[in-house]
Amino acid sequence: MTLDELRDRMKAARIEIAENRLELVRRLLTDALRPIHEMDSRKVKTLEPCVTFDARRSGV
Amino acid sequence: MATDDAVYATIRDIGGRFRKKTLSPVELTRALLERIERLEPTLHAFVTVTADRALADAKAAETALARGDISSPLLGIPLGYKDIYATRGVVTSGGSALLADWVPDADSTCVARLQKAGAVMLGKLITHEFAFGIQFPGHRFPAAKNPWDLERMPGGSSSGSGTALAAGMAFGALGSDTGGSIRGPASFCGIAGLKPTYGRCSRTGVLTLSWTLDHTGPMARTVEDCAYLLQALAGHDPADPASSREPVGDYIAPLVRGVRNLRIGVPREYFCEGLDSEVEKAFEQALTTLRQLGASVQDVQIPSIKSAPAYMVILLSEAYAYHERDLREHPELFGEFLRERIQAGGLITSSEYVQAQRLRATLQADMGDVLRRVDLLVTPTSPKPAATFAAVYDPNYDAPRSNTGPFNMTGLPTLALPIGFSASGLPLSMQITGRPFEEANVLRAGHTYEQATDWHKRHPNV
Repeated sequence: MTLDELRDRMKAARIEIAENRLELVRRLLTDALRPIHEMDSRKVKTLEPCVTFDARRSGV
Repeated sequence: MATDDAVYATIRDIGGRFRKKTLSPVELTRALLERIERLEPTLHAFVTVTADRALADAKAAETALARGDISSPLLGIPLGYKDIYATRGVVTSGGSALLADWVPDADSTCVARLQKAGAVMLGKLITHEFAFGIQFPGHRFPAAKNPWDLERMPGGSSSGSGTALAAGMAFGALGSDTGGSIRGPASFCGIAGLKPTYGRCSRTGVLTLSWTLDHTGPMARTVEDCAYLLQALAGHDPADPASSREPVGDYIAPLVRGVRNLRIGVPREYFCEGLDSEVEKAFEQALTTLRQLGASVQDVQIPSIKSAPAYMVILLSEAYAYHERDLREHPELFGEFLRERIQAGGLITSSEYVQAQRLRATLQADMGDVLRRVDLLVTPTSPKPAATFAAVYDPNYDAPRSNTGPFNMTGLPTLALPIGFSASGLPLSMQITGRPFEEANVLRAGHTYEQATDWHKRHPNV
C-alpha cells in the first residue's frame, strides 16, 4: 500500500491520522493485508467466514 | 519466618508450607507487599496495590487452613490481575485515560473464580493501553520494565503480569492474549504463560480488544503453576457467548506422564524464518531435549501458514468496531500509537475483513490436518529476544514477525515457556500447541521439558 492509497482510504472513511504516524499505519496495513491481496478469492475453497473451536460438537 | 526463599517458590511448595505451618498466608502476603513496595518504583508492574484487601484475603485463608480446609491449592496464594479484568470496588483502567476512574461493581468471571478458590488479591497489574497500545514516555500509566534488563520491554500487553512474576512480586497472574499478549511477556520475562483454547476460559468482565481473537489465561513462573491456575479458571460461563461447554479435565495429574511416544511437529516455514541466532540455537537444543525425553520430533508443513499475518486484519477491524464511538468523540483520551493503530482498523474494507476470516478458516483446517498426524506443535515464541524501549519508541521500528498470532487465528491452546538465555542474559522461549481443549497434553509436555532443565529456576537480580 502506498501513502497515496492510504490517504484515499482515510478520505473515504473520514478518518484523520497525524502525518508523522502515516508511515507506521501504512506498514501495519501493508503487512496485514498482504495475504489477502495475494489470495485469489475465486480459487479459495468455499469456506464460510465462521470459525468454531470445538472439535467435539459442543459448539462455542 | 521463612519468607525470603519463598518468593520464588512454586504454588505447590507454598501450599505444602502452609499445611506444615512453616509459613502462613499472612506472613507471605506481608513479605510480598514489602517486596512490591521496594521494587515498584523501579519496575512499575502494578497500577494499583490492594494491600488491605490482600491482608484480608490472607487472613481468611489462614482461618480456613486453621480449620483444616485444604481443598484448594490456591488457598492463600497471592496473585495479581491484569488491569483489563474487572474487579469489584477496585479501579479497572485498562491502562487508559478513558477508564482511569472506572470502578466496576462486579468481578470478572476469572477473578471471581480465583478468589473463590481462596487466592489473595495483591492488586492490578499494568497493561498496555487497552491491551494494544504502548506506553510512550509521558503516558498516564508508566510502562513496566523488564526485570532482566531495565532498558528492555517486558513484552505486552500483559506487561505488568510478566514483570511481577519474573521479579517475585506474585505467584501467578491473569493475562489476556489477542495476538500474543500472554506468551510475549512470558517469553521476554522468562516465565510460563498459557493461552488456552478459545472459549476455555471466560472473557466476561474483561475489556474487549477483538471478540473473535481474545483469550484469557494464566501466567506463572512454572508450567505446573499455570496448570493449578487453569484448573480454577476453566469451565463454561453462560455470560460469555464464546464460552465452551466442553467438560474440564484434570490438568494436574497428567503432568507427570512424560512425553514418551508423543509426536511433536515442527512447522519451520514461517515460524523459524529470520530467527535470531541465539533463539535458533536454544530452540534446536530444546527439540533435542524433547527427543531425549522420548518424544518423536518431526518437521511438518502447514500449507496456508503464510496467510497468518491476516490475523491483524481481524484484530484491527474488530478493535475499531469496539472503540469507534470513543475514538470519534474522545480521541485525545487515547494514547498516541494506540489511537493510530486502532484507526487503521477503520481503513479496512468489509471485503478484506471477510477474506481474512476465510483465510482463518483455511489455516484452522490446515493446522487441524497436521494435528491429526502429530500430537503437538513446537515453535519459537518470538523470533528475537526482548527489544529495548528506545528501539520500540523509534517511529521506524520494524517489529519482528509474530509467531504467536497464528494460534489466535486458530484458537488452539498454546503454552510459552523458557528454553534458555541469550549471551546478554535475556530469556528465550518456545511455544507448545495442542489440539482444541487438549491443554492437559500441552501442559504435560511443557512440564516434562521444564523438569529436565533449570531455566525456570533462574531469576533476575532485582
